[in-house]
Amino acid sequence: MLEVKKLCTGYGRIQVLWDIDFAVGENEIVALVGPNGSGKTTLLRAITGMIPVKSGSVDFLGESIKGQSIEEIVSRGIAHVPEGRRLFPGLTVRENLILGAWRTKETSVDHVVDLFPRLGERLNQIAGSMSGGEQQMCAIARGLMSKPNLIVIDELSLGLAPVVVDEIIQALPSIAESGTSILMVDQDVDAALTIATNAYVLEAGHCVLSGKASDLLADPRVQESYLGVG
Amino acid sequence: MDTFLQVTAYGLLQGGLLALVAVGFSLVWGIMNIVNLSHGAFVILGAYIAWEVQGWFGLDPFLGMFVSAIVLFCVGYVIQRYLINLIVNGPVFITLLLTFGINMALIQGMNLVFTADFRSIQTSYGSNSFEIGNIRIPLVRLLAFLLAIVITFALVAFVKRTRTGISIMATGMDRGAARLMGIRARHVYALTFAISAALAGMAGTMIATIETFDPSKAGKFTLMAFVVAVLGGLGNMYGALVGGLLIGLVEAWAGQYLSGTWVNGIAFLVLILVLIFRPNGLVGKAFYAARVEI
Repeated sequence: MLEVKKLCTGYGRIQVLWDIDFAVGENEIVALVGPNGSGKTTLLRAITGMIPVKSGSVDFLGESIKGQSIEEIVSRGIAHVPEGRRLFPGLTVRENLILGAWRTKETSVDHVVDLFPRLGERLNQIAGSMSGGEQQMCAIARGLMSKPNLIVIDELSLGLAPVVVDEIIQALPSIAESGTSILMVDQDVDAALTIATNAYVLEAGHCVLSGKASDLLADPRVQESYLGVG
Repeated sequence: MDTFLQVTAYGLLQGGLLALVAVGFSLVWGIMNIVNLSHGAFVILGAYIAWEVQGWFGLDPFLGMFVSAIVLFCVGYVIQRYLINLIVNGPVFITLLLTFGINMALIQGMNLVFTADFRSIQTSYGSNSFEIGNIRIPLVRLLAFLLAIVITFALVAFVKRTRTGISIMATGMDRGAARLMGIRARHVYALTFAISAALAGMAGTMIATIETFDPSKAGKFTLMAFVVAVLGGLGNMYGALVGGLLIGLVEAWAGQYLSGTWVNGIAFLVLILVLIFRPNGLVGKAFYAARVEI
């Protein structure tokens, strides 16, 4: 569905990513892991057009999306839940969700409230006044409102209480099964690899390891660097 | 006492028009962080368009103002989409410089096309008025006041209740996140500016039925829009209404009891006092307090 080949990019003259290859298939959950500054967020940004791709190719549903504007890429069916959630703080939860469905003009919020029942009680609350976990649920729900083919989630659990993280993580497999593939970045490598289908490990802008998430979870290099085992 | 009530009534009626001038200015400032120094020129341009339309087709100014609104909507859209959008992320000094330039171009253009003679829009009912007690209310002023209030409330309803309106607010709060929703921020900006210009055009038409106008008056309306918008709280549309009414009253009282030359001084004194005691403006806090950039 999403295929990235030999992608290089960066900010201005500073190159951050070198020759990244990866792919996300139908109904898959793909995790990107790696230390701070390894380029995970940059990669997500390059995919949705928030920063320009220097070289390489980005294909989505068989068509190149390289060089297109954020708005064009989003309207092809990729939702991006950015780092820091970026809800519209002064609008209500319902208004945030409705804006998530900007391109499909969907006004029913039922299918995302089924996924995160807590949001149902908070639809008329101002988004900025909710707890961090509820805001993350709202941000993911907002991304799902347009029923995208792919949802990109950056720093899913950053700064959230473990209980809430579990609740969100538990919801991901059913999202993938219902037809929205997931590309996620998370600092909680253990949790990410447990639910993911495939995973890629980035280090200093290079993809150093990739494969089935279950294999990576058992890989001694991953265990040593990220899981504190061994 | 009668004089006081009469002056107060005039102040309120004038204040409604000031509110309509300021509400679009405040919207543009709140959403895009642009202090539009050409706003007053839009007001005057709106007056000229309605004046011409009346001259050519005999159209009543209270209908002609919709022609002004449509023309200025288009002018505003094009100016923002193809000019101001180029530097909308620049430092405030650059946006000030550009809108200052647009203001000069518009004013000089109007001087060339319409000459610098004083104009006013006359109507057959222009001198009609009625009395409540001992207070005389001119019909045209009342009509203009009521329309200004209705249009201001209609704008608030549009921004808060419609999908497009909510997308404008969202873009103002976080442009980057709005783009991630697929909202075309450049179009939203142009639309916001167009609405602001259209409202200025309507206000200008109504002002032209009450007082004389010429291109050099543009600066006065920009200044008034600035004072009223800051007074009410930036980007806050009800705030612009409250601020407009207050400045209308203050100006009327100052003009009556002090002297005409003190009017602007007193208006700014009120502004300074409000900013000392309520730095976010009269009405609540500015809704865009949580602006972030991508």
